[in-house]
Amino acid sequence: MRRWSTAVVALFLAASTAWAGDEASDEARIHARLSGEAARQVSAVVREARAMGLPTDPLIARAFEGASRGADDAGLVAGVRRQASALAAARTSLGVASPSDEIVAGASALLAGVPADSLSRLRAVRPGGSLVIPLVVLCDLVARGVPVNVASVAVVTAARAGATDGALLRIRERIHTRIENGGAPATSTGEVVRQWLHESPAKTKRDAAPPAERKKVP
Amino acid sequence: MTEPRDDDAHRAPQDEHFDEQVRTVYRRGREGDAAAQARVLSRLQGAPEASADGRARGLRWWFSLQPFELRPVWALGVLAVLLAGSAWLGSRLAPTPPEPAPVAAGPDASGTAANASGIPVTFVLRAPGATRVSVAGDFNNWDAEATPMSHSGTGDLWILNMRLPRGVHRYSFVLDGTEWRPDPSAPLAADETFGGHNSVIVVNGAKGL
Repeated sequence: MRRWSTAVVALFLAASTAWAGDEASDEARIHARLSGEAARQVSAVVREARAMGLPTDPLIARAFEGASRGADDAGLVAGVRRQASALAAARTSLGVASPSDEIVAGASALLAGVPADSLSRLRAVRPGGSLVIPLVVLCDLVARGVPVNVASVAVVTAARAGATDGALLRIRERIHTRIENGGAPATSTGEVVRQWLHESPAKTKRDAAPPAERKKVP
Repeated sequence: MTEPRDDDAHRAPQDEHFDEQVRTVYRRGREGDAAAQARVLSRLQGAPEASADGRARGLRWWFSLQPFELRPVWALGVLAVLLAGSAWLGSRLAPTPPEPAPVAAGPDASGTAANASGIPVTFVLRAPGATRVSVAGDFNNWDAEATPMSHSGTGDLWILNMRLPRGVHRYSFVLDGTEWRPDPSAPLAADETFGGHNSVIVVNGAKGL
């Protein structure tokens, strides 16, 4: 029992030391780049995020992006706060065990207006797989003018049908090409995904079909 | 107050006989036990080995789990000292100015020690009329000057080869230090927190990503 206690105490001390080192490093980076008040407020947001177990690098990167793009202090701090809230919401939707990259990609989707339940649906479709590429594709479609609900349904449907990361990126490129050639974003997305489902193996089509349509399959 | 007793004067003959018997037994024990002598000699000869065993035992002690008792108040004190020390050490070791990111000014620079780790990526942009183009992103603290691209020499093509760590990175091109432009060949990050779209690169070493 005492051995376990010793090990736990040692582990706790090591973790505390590493944690304190990370915090000091982040503080130094922030204060070296940002002005006094903005640095203080961004540091507070970063500390809070760290206490919640959220990734902090994206917050610091967001602050630096704001500084480089010439945002004023208030806008910069507001941007960092929005990012922190989105990270927390993304982790809730994707699951606390989600890796940092997924949480960052999920936060980006939420900031773009993607509803949280779309993230949960994607997680349900790929319970053990990475959601980074599906989320990146989803964000890209929204950024290119595809309505959020259409983009969400398209990505979830393709993922449910077994689309790999590579397939999702190819679907994105096809949609992008159609939009650049003058196609309406929503229409182009629907057509490309339907075409992909038609080309994909029958099994994945059955899996991707909504329950009402699935009953029609003999 | 009691009178001092003169034991010798009052000693009975049977007492003297008993004393003699005891002395005989002790004398026999010391002088006659050859086996005991052998055991003692054997132990003496083995003394150096015993000492080596002791050293080995002592060494093993350092590598074995040892229970110890610690008052919680002392543990908290030690923890506080450790935290303060590591915070001080972290502030000393942390980069005070924003560190320039690994810069690859061109294909020839991709093997330098500064950017030897990570996965090689190539950024390409066609930018007619631009006099200088750089990349700013999560990987270089969004420093618009830190990572310049190389002009291809002919045409309007700007190229940058560099290595990036695995993960999702947002970035943008910066033309002539003022114009921010997303990468037309990469997925867009949907949010426009600071007034413009960024691009996204997913670095995971897999082909095609």
